[in-house]
Amino acid sequence: MTNTEALRLDEVRKVHGTGSNQVVALAGVTLSLPAGTFTAVMGPSGSGKSTLLQCAAGLERPSGGRVFVAGHEMKGGETELTKFRREHIGFVFQHFNLLPALTVLQNVTLPLKLAGRRIDEARAAEILQAVGLGDRLSHRPQELSGGQQQRVAIARALVTSPSVIFADEPTGALDTRSARAVLALLQQAVRRYGQTLVMVTHDPVAAAHADSVLFLADGRLVGRMIDPTAEAVAERLTRLGDELVRKGA
Amino acid sequence: MFSLALSSLRHRTAAFVAAFLALFLGAALVMSFGSLIDTALGTGVDTASEETLFIMGGVVGGWSLLLVVFAVTSTATLGVRQRAKEIALLKSAGAVPGQLTRMILTEVLVLALLGAALAVPLGMAGGSLVLGLLQDSGQIPAGIEHSFGAVAVGQGFGITLLSAVGASLVTARRAVRMRVTESMQEAATPPARLNGRRVGFGLLFLAGAAAQAVLTVTLGKGEGFGAQQYAGTADILFAIGLACFAPVVVRRLPLPGFGTAGALTREALRARTAPLAAVLIPIVLFIGAGVGTLYMQDLDSEASAGLLPEEGQQAVETLNYVVTGMIALFLCIMLINTLVATTAARSREFAQYRLAGATTAQVRQMVVLENLAVTVAGVVFGTLASLVTIIPFSYARTGSWLPDLDPLIYPAAVAFTAAVVFATTLLTTRRALAVPAVTAVTA
Repeated sequence: MTNTEALRLDEVRKVHGTGSNQVVALAGVTLSLPAGTFTAVMGPSGSGKSTLLQCAAGLERPSGGRVFVAGHEMKGGETELTKFRREHIGFVFQHFNLLPALTVLQNVTLPLKLAGRRIDEARAAEILQAVGLGDRLSHRPQELSGGQQQRVAIARALVTSPSVIFADEPTGALDTRSARAVLALLQQAVRRYGQTLVMVTHDPVAAAHADSVLFLADGRLVGRMIDPTAEAVAERLTRLGDELVRKGA
Repeated sequence: MFSLALSSLRHRTAAFVAAFLALFLGAALVMSFGSLIDTALGTGVDTASEETLFIMGGVVGGWSLLLVVFAVTSTATLGVRQRAKEIALLKSAGAVPGQLTRMILTEVLVLALLGAALAVPLGMAGGSLVLGLLQDSGQIPAGIEHSFGAVAVGQGFGITLLSAVGASLVTARRAVRMRVTESMQEAATPPARLNGRRVGFGLLFLAGAAAQAVLTVTLGKGEGFGAQQYAGTADILFAIGLACFAPVVVRRLPLPGFGTAGALTREALRARTAPLAAVLIPIVLFIGAGVGTLYMQDLDSEASAGLLPEEGQQAVETLNYVVTGMIALFLCIMLINTLVATTAARSREFAQYRLAGATTAQVRQMVVLENLAVTVAGVVFGTLASLVTIIPFSYARTGSWLPDLDPLIYPAAVAFTAAVVFATTLLTTRRALAVPAVTAVTA
């Protein structure tokens, strides 16, 4: 399982704006992530980590380079990209992005419904049970706490068994306790269900839950850490920040 | 709070356009007919002309007054409701209820005063247009000069200010009194409750409509303008009465089939009752008052055919259609207004669907299906309302309960309504979908 490639980026570039207002967000990023791994992406503000996630997840079109998910190249118009995303990719956002009009169960089965797939409510309920919300199926998202809403979002990402789940600051809006619970769940998704997970975060404690951490600065990959600890990650980040300041001065 | 209110107005330009249009056009409509009363009160107007002007200014002016109060009230309510989240944020930043109420009132007052002031030239033009048509049709002598005075200005400013301030106060009081966490939830799904007050108002308006229908066939029997006076009010009151029950109607709208988009739309119809009810209301009014008044004028022209020389007859018809047209135009703009405001407010929701895997085509299908359900319901209720005018008027004017109706007016009105609804929502949806989903969810 761990030998197959879940995500590959080939010289991916992203430039915002035109002419003299050009800002290079990604200056050619190449990476390969095996299936069944949990990778954190870290870097100072403005390092391009959110752009990296959005390009890799097909939410933004790269200005150059190619993205492969489970061996398939991601390309085409908005509709094709959407169909590709719902087939191969799951999302967890900082602000949950659950639909307020739908119940917890309806939110979780929504991606299946939109893809025209068979809706296995029993399986959806089982996943919700696994994330600890088995008794909240018919609640609306706004009746739940932030941590609970994020767990619904994780269940929604798991329900389609995607090739890669992208999480953008999944603990950014949560208190410490809920954040720990969410991170433990994400870890479990990788260990127990063999999911592949890419998480952008600025929190060394969150990053320490991953198998490896990629460091990004000025739109380039500048380092990688295997089996990270919060202390080591924090120290590395501080050094990165110092280098940037020195270069800028 | 005054500067905060002004900066909020500047910042949320798009959201205020809807409220401003309702106030501006409403004031202009009311002023047009108010100025006929000013004209009647001027010197050198003979008694017969005075009466004609009073009837036109009072009766048609009365209908527009009703419609304007209702349109302004619902737009102002929608405006405050769509800002539930902003209000919650201000509250969490430490604003006390009194400050928030003052802020909302200041905004509404600035808008209402601005709207009414800018409406003056349009109101003058409208009034002199109707006066000119009255003179062309020989109903009043050519010598009478149009006058725009205290009645037009007083009604124009008074009605817009009172209804806007009144509606905002009621809505703001509820929004402001809620605790912050509650308002945040409210921001997510605005509820549409059918409370006792709503039922009471609804029944009152329906009873009013019934009374007008009875007056049409009793006091109005055999009278021309007398019958119009009562019959023309009946459909408006009936439509407003039905509109009070809109949330219950929306929640129960049946929509069979249509696959995935259909299933999602059925969920939306249950959960998004408030904004959908907001769309249903102007459709009911547009069809009810529009079709009712058009057929009433048509029946009236038929009945009076032969009584006047052909030229005079034509001029009377023109006058009737211009007056109906002014009201229909106002209702049509209110409909577009509401559709744009409610659809534009959904860009975040659309983006969330897209992030969950919906293609833009699926989002558009949902919007189309929702509007289809709401339009069908609006047309059915609007038709009912129009019959409350048409049937009694036909009896009063022709002695027959079953009116001999022009077969083109009704289908044309329904087709026009559907075209307006779908063109407006699809264009607004397309604009909302043009923004990348990741950007739209954070907006």
